[in-house]
Amino acid sequence: MGVGGLATSDMVLNIGPQHPATHGVLRLKIVLDGERIVSADPVIGYMHRGVDKLFEVRDYRQIIALTNRHDWLAAFGNELGIVLAVESMLGMEVPERAVWLRTLLAELNRVLSHLMFLGSYPLELGAITPVFYAFREREEIQAVMEEATGGRMHYMFNRVGGLREDVPAGWTGRVREALTAVRRRLPDLFSLVSGNDIVIARTRGVGVLDAATCAAYGVTGPIARASGLDLDLRRDQPYLAYAELFAPGGPGRVVTRSAGDCMARLEVLLEQLEVSLDLAQACLDRLETLPAGPVNQRLPKVLKVPEGEHYAVTENPLGFNGYLVVSRGEKTPWRCKLRSASFSNVQVLSEMLPGHLVSDMVAILGSMFFVVGDVDK
Amino acid sequence: MSLVKGLVTTMRTAFRRTTTKEYPDVRPELPPRSRGVIALLEENCTSCMLCARECPDWCIYIDSHKETIPAATPGGRERQRNVLDRFDIDFSLCMYCGICIEVCPFDALFWSPQFEYAEFDVRDLLHDKERLGVWMGTVPPPPALDVKAAEPAEIAAARRPPRGTGLVGP
Repeated sequence: MGVGGLATSDMVLNIGPQHPATHGVLRLKIVLDGERIVSADPVIGYMHRGVDKLFEVRDYRQIIALTNRHDWLAAFGNELGIVLAVESMLGMEVPERAVWLRTLLAELNRVLSHLMFLGSYPLELGAITPVFYAFREREEIQAVMEEATGGRMHYMFNRVGGLREDVPAGWTGRVREALTAVRRRLPDLFSLVSGNDIVIARTRGVGVLDAATCAAYGVTGPIARASGLDLDLRRDQPYLAYAELFAPGGPGRVVTRSAGDCMARLEVLLEQLEVSLDLAQACLDRLETLPAGPVNQRLPKVLKVPEGEHYAVTENPLGFNGYLVVSRGEKTPWRCKLRSASFSNVQVLSEMLPGHLVSDMVAILGSMFFVVGDVDK
Repeated sequence: MSLVKGLVTTMRTAFRRTTTKEYPDVRPELPPRSRGVIALLEENCTSCMLCARECPDWCIYIDSHKETIPAATPGGRERQRNVLDRFDIDFSLCMYCGICIEVCPFDALFWSPQFEYAEFDVRDLLHDKERLGVWMGTVPPPPALDVKAAEPAEIAAARRPPRGTGLVGP
């Protein structure tokens, strides 16, 4: 079947593994009929490190150093999952101050991750300017993250039982300033992205994904919510201090859209950014009312986790991030399975891409918000 | 038109002061906790190997030998101590997690925000104990903790009455 009855043959086109639109090493095998995509097949594994196996030969502190690396834009969220799993297996209670600090840092990390995609997505659509505005705000928040944790990407700040150490004096004040500055300047970024005619032309009605397909493929996070799948673990299965933040009257709310196209995904991200800033602000206010106290528990020299298994899942910036820890009473897990958000989010590409033009592929790929390290694990 | 809205933002920003700091000319101000390089205070190291064992990718190499110190007083006992021969950290493998610094029971390892040690040859990233010692000069004092923080363990321990003073009875 060809265009206008002319005899054409399908062409197989490889996008990646080294292609700027895949920001990372994702390869897409695309079968084309003219400019239209007939079928698409994401080929993954170019960055496979076998973390599941690496976890098995490391103790629970060393694992944190690894977990913080698969989704390198959300290191704090990743660390959180594994320590929450271990804490619940140990039946360990975390000091209240640590819970609120963790929530605050997790939300700051979410802001960082969202800003990254809000900068890089327009870049893929051909708009070079927004990324500079996104990075200016990122730098503001990254500075306070670095001051507390010592790292710019791999924070290594969680420990089983709390945090590594308390935050420096005056830090909360500087977080407040950073949040105010980001909030004040966000309209700059929004004015470049939302409502822009070119962005609308490239994204509206492109790459429509319905809620049923999302559920079938295990797509979660902002992408699923843009398709109308009202699912957010912070509200539905609250961990840390989210039960209080997402309670009626609290600052937390779940952002959803129903269109399911690239535009909707971008809008969800933009709005979630504001929600996360509100949540971070609420955490700061709450921290001020808390009494002084420790941020961690005293641990034994050799930390052994009792026999059993536990699945802990958290809402990372890109979707569900889960760890299934199976312990046989050793100081290393017997098995530790990682469920990463981007892995599922990328699988759905084979459903989404057919029928679209090659030029729309870049717009769709960019709107799927994935991190290749999180895909390949 | 919406495109004008974006251009207005660009124009407004064009007349603002730049936020970019041009690195080689302008030094970054790094917080004291910043993880740049690991410094070694050799005198404190007892070559107990804890750091080398706890390292998640085993990039610390330690060799040591035992030395016998003759008795200080006549009829006294000879003592043995560990002498550090080699203490290397391979920064081409290091994940900068800081576990070695955390587990060191004798405060021999410290973080320094110094980061300017890029090399043309990956093998030169193996820092020996002399080079790790040089970094000690760049280690900043730790920042004061938040007012709501719990008392540091060292201070809490110093406040506790000493154990076993040897005085029994009145």
